[in-house]
Amino acid sequence: MTKKRLIPRLLQLALIIIGVYFSFILLFDVALHQIIPKSLLTMYMLFVVAGTVMVFTFTEEGAQELVGPIKALVEDPSKKMLRNIVFVIVPLLAGYYTYTSMMPSFEAPMELRTIHPAPPSKFKAFGKSYNLTTLENPFRKFEKEDPAKFKELVKEGGNVYIKNCQYCHGDKLDGNGPYASGLNPTPLNFQDVGTIAQLQESFLFWRIATGGPGLPAEAAPWISAMPVWQDYLTEDEIWKVILYLYDYTGRRPRSWANE
Amino acid sequence: MNIFLRVAAFSLLMVAGFWGFASFGIPQIKPAPPPVEEKLDLGAMTMDQFIALGGKIFNGKGTCTLCHNKMGRAPMLDQIGKNAPERLKDGRYKGTAKTIEEYIFESMTKPSAYVVAGFGKSGTNDTESPMPVVTGGSIGLKEAEVKAVIAYLQDSGGAEVTVTIPAMPAAGAEAPKAEEAAPLKTAQEVIAKFGCGACHKVADQTGEIGPNLTKIGATKNKEYIRQSILDPDAVIAKGFAGGMMPPTFGEQLKAKELEMLVNYLAGSK
Amino acid sequence: MLKRNIRIIGVVFLLAISAMFMLPAFMPAASASEAAAPTAAPAAADSAAAKTAAVPDANAVTYPPAPKLTAADYPTVSGVNPRVAVWLVAQLHLWLGAFVVAVPMFVFIIESIGMATRDERYDNMAYEFIKVSITAYSLTAIMGGLLSFSLILFYPDVFKYLALIFKESMFAYALLFFAESAVLYIYYYGWHWLQGGNRKWIHLTFGLLLNAFGITLMLLANSWTTFMMSPAAVDAAGVFNGNTWEAIHNFLWNPINIHRVVANVAYGGSIVGAYAGFKFLSAKNKEERAHYDWVGYNANFIAIAALLPLPFAGYYLTAELYAYSQQMGITLMGGVFAWIFIIQAVLIGALFLSANYYLWCGMGRSDGANRYNPRIKYIAIVLVAAFLVWFTPHTLVLTNSELKSLGGPYHKYLGVFGIMPAKNTAVNFLLTFTFMSFMFYRRANKIATVSWATTGNAIQIALFTMGLINIVTLGVYYGYFTNTVYKVAASIPQVLTTLTIIITSTIIDTLMYKGAKDVAPLHWGRMPARSQYALFLLAVSFTWLMGLMGYVRSGIRQHWHVSGIFRDASPDAYTPTLGYAANIITIGTIIFMAMVIFVFWLSTISGKHVVAKGYWKEQA
Repeated sequence: MTKKRLIPRLLQLALIIIGVYFSFILLFDVALHQIIPKSLLTMYMLFVVAGTVMVFTFTEEGAQELVGPIKALVEDPSKKMLRNIVFVIVPLLAGYYTYTSMMPSFEAPMELRTIHPAPPSKFKAFGKSYNLTTLENPFRKFEKEDPAKFKELVKEGGNVYIKNCQYCHGDKLDGNGPYASGLNPTPLNFQDVGTIAQLQESFLFWRIATGGPGLPAEAAPWISAMPVWQDYLTEDEIWKVILYLYDYTGRRPRSWANE
Repeated sequence: MNIFLRVAAFSLLMVAGFWGFASFGIPQIKPAPPPVEEKLDLGAMTMDQFIALGGKIFNGKGTCTLCHNKMGRAPMLDQIGKNAPERLKDGRYKGTAKTIEEYIFESMTKPSAYVVAGFGKSGTNDTESPMPVVTGGSIGLKEAEVKAVIAYLQDSGGAEVTVTIPAMPAAGAEAPKAEEAAPLKTAQEVIAKFGCGACHKVADQTGEIGPNLTKIGATKNKEYIRQSILDPDAVIAKGFAGGMMPPTFGEQLKAKELEMLVNYLAGSK
Repeated sequence: MLKRNIRIIGVVFLLAISAMFMLPAFMPAASASEAAAPTAAPAAADSAAAKTAAVPDANAVTYPPAPKLTAADYPTVSGVNPRVAVWLVAQLHLWLGAFVVAVPMFVFIIESIGMATRDERYDNMAYEFIKVSITAYSLTAIMGGLLSFSLILFYPDVFKYLALIFKESMFAYALLFFAESAVLYIYYYGWHWLQGGNRKWIHLTFGLLLNAFGITLMLLANSWTTFMMSPAAVDAAGVFNGNTWEAIHNFLWNPINIHRVVANVAYGGSIVGAYAGFKFLSAKNKEERAHYDWVGYNANFIAIAALLPLPFAGYYLTAELYAYSQQMGITLMGGVFAWIFIIQAVLIGALFLSANYYLWCGMGRSDGANRYNPRIKYIAIVLVAAFLVWFTPHTLVLTNSELKSLGGPYHKYLGVFGIMPAKNTAVNFLLTFTFMSFMFYRRANKIATVSWATTGNAIQIALFTMGLINIVTLGVYYGYFTNTVYKVAASIPQVLTTLTIIITSTIIDTLMYKGAKDVAPLHWGRMPARSQYALFLLAVSFTWLMGLMGYVRSGIRQHWHVSGIFRDASPDAYTPTLGYAANIITIGTIIFMAMVIFVFWLSTISGKHVVAKGYWKEQA
């Protein structure tokens, strides 16, 4: 039944796994210039290994072929030398891995920021209390009612943006303004599908009005450099900027009402 | 038994895997602790909470918004930080306050010390304020509550908050409940306690916001009066706007007090 | 005779259903709720109605508002953490309950299949399943009692408040519980007595009644839970307006009901599968092996069949949750709990992969499977790829150097996979290819004899190709190139596409393989031992997953007993971290596993007879 293969099954398995691993690195780190995070790659590889092992073992012959060489290594008297070598190398590798992963490094500990923290139900700005669940952009209605006026409002919003926001968030709204490289975390990229397109206008209003200091506790560490814009802009200006953000990026604010 | 152990070990290993991933594989975000409920434990209060408490009193118990609203019955307070210093310099100012904090406190306890032009009692040429004293009558704010309202007004009116949180425990806020146990004895007491005179001309008091009640008994019967107290917006007297009178008297008045009040008013001819 | 019997059982079914609908009629104000239903739509009309109704009504019972508690109002028992105790007991009750509610559902179906095909194996399998669940039934009741006991003990005010609103339904629950017990015992103990002809029909009717009672019980209990999430029939202070039906029929009731019924069936299937897997491994002879292999196959089939619609039910629930409260929705998906869905992805990954693996291994039972074996690897590639997409988190865990290199927390290419449209597309792929695995399995042992077999195959290939292209197009177009509003909307045509593929393909397959010839008889029992571990993994992952989702469902209420109305003032009001929850879930899973093993063991000893020679004195 078992025909002689060019590459033994066990080696095939190892080659596939290693191959997939390096193609991920090659694809993201080299070809696309956007490195793949290590934590993600680890989980990806877990699924890849599981999937590959499943394919290799779902038939009885396949499983035999895979386990055969390992069994032989342990039991076959003629492979005594190889066995001894493997039995020395494997614990050493395990030890090396444990050592490197446990060794303290000089890198600052990982920080995880919740980028879209859950908003409070109410917040205070401009000396007023806003209810986030019902808050709506007062100018959004002009989009249908009075397109000319809406255009005007968007334009005004654009002016506010250029005067205040573009230094960090960039003139293309891609989070790559002149000051962006000096900031960590970097300013938000509004062109990304994962940012404003996922949010409601009321959420943006909250984030703009209260800025970095207004982040809730769960969004720690509060290292955002976003200013508290309610101190510099009027309420209407913020709403207009929000119109502009969506207009320029061509995205729509998230809404559940129109469903 | 061998198989049982093997299956058990396999299952435990899987569970351990899930547990390990949930514990170490993902970042542990510590959820924000539940927001602290506003308690009148002033000692443990932050300034934000104190201001929030003031806002609550301003909009609720203090009944301030009955008049200090956009309907023009009393001056708006959202610019108080800017206005107060100007008023202190005004020639018509009769009080002793030096700071914004003192000015607000004075306005609440001696309302006539300065009357904003156009808001005085009619016929007094803006020398007398129609505002009731907030520490007395039906409002009856305690010292700590007054301070909280000042803090709130400073915060929302664009002034720096200078109020210090009083150290006194605000157990006083609970005290009025004990007083309420005994029903009041006369209609005059009822009128005084519930502050009817702040708006109505009744029983020696001279409010002007609501209808004059000194001769109400001449034209209206008891049923009408009772309804007007329990459900103020059922019938609106000519020349007055609806929605002004608090609809909560039905809950606050005791049956005996209500009847006393109705009888008194029906008898005022 | 068959016709008459079907008629009788139909009438009984209708009676049972109408009895369920009559239930609310026994509750006060139920009729009033129907009359008031039209005004329920606009909130404005509601408040207007409330105003006119504010005229004092002498007959109206006034309910107190939700109590405002302090930490001192919560009794403590030294050495016991009230929240952990209630959490564990409730979760165990739920696990057992899900199993006990689910088993009668498929026992009923298996019994009817047995009756239709006159294949006694089905009847025996159904009996074996119900035998397993009967001990679990009493354990469920014990856990339920323990749960209410610990609620009264640790959260007396909460229980009092809920009982005030749900007193009638709680009473109905108790009565129904009696009825269900009676029916279950007749169903189980009468199995061999009610055999043949009309008696079998009577027995099947009891099975139906058992399901009707079981589901009603669950729906009632669901209403109490969902009331705590989305309270209805109470005002802002928690004053109950007296309309019990409105409180039961709260916003999230039906979404949870659908999700739970479907999930229960899948869960029940996976537990029974684990049972069969264990019996298979410890089988002494070939017949036994063959039998439990067959039972395990059926259990896995049930689990997969119910698993397929489950993501959609979950999606519907989440959408409704967002519709009910945006804050709850964001807390669930974007805030503290966002990472839970990454764990969930891993667990569901384990579920689907192990179910598929079992199917692939099962092809070894057939001699004709070799034809399909080479294709498995492509299915595996798609499954794994779909998982990688599904698993990719919206917020990546980055080291500082990675953060700098990427220039921000957003990944240009992987970020695309982080949001819903990508994940919806992935899930639909997953389901379609799992179905494909199953189709290959079914075909493995058969050779189509109909003349249009080639055409049929071509149609199916075209169907799958078109469907998958459609899913991708919908996902990509609606997800990334149009308004966000449609992101939600796109998932519905995607789901419909998947369902169309599955249903049409099943119909074509059934016609095409009508009268098909078998390659060789199936070798039941020719199954590697490691495939059985896939069944265990299925059961274990499912249990852990249910525990996790239980934590989220309860956790999104945050520091409220009843959302926004009744505040939790106990020291445990804070939301625990995922790691903490993982500890509790793991402990719960282990306790549950121990209980299930106990239940399975009991079902084996009841069949054992030991002849103790010389123990009893000889009767003359």
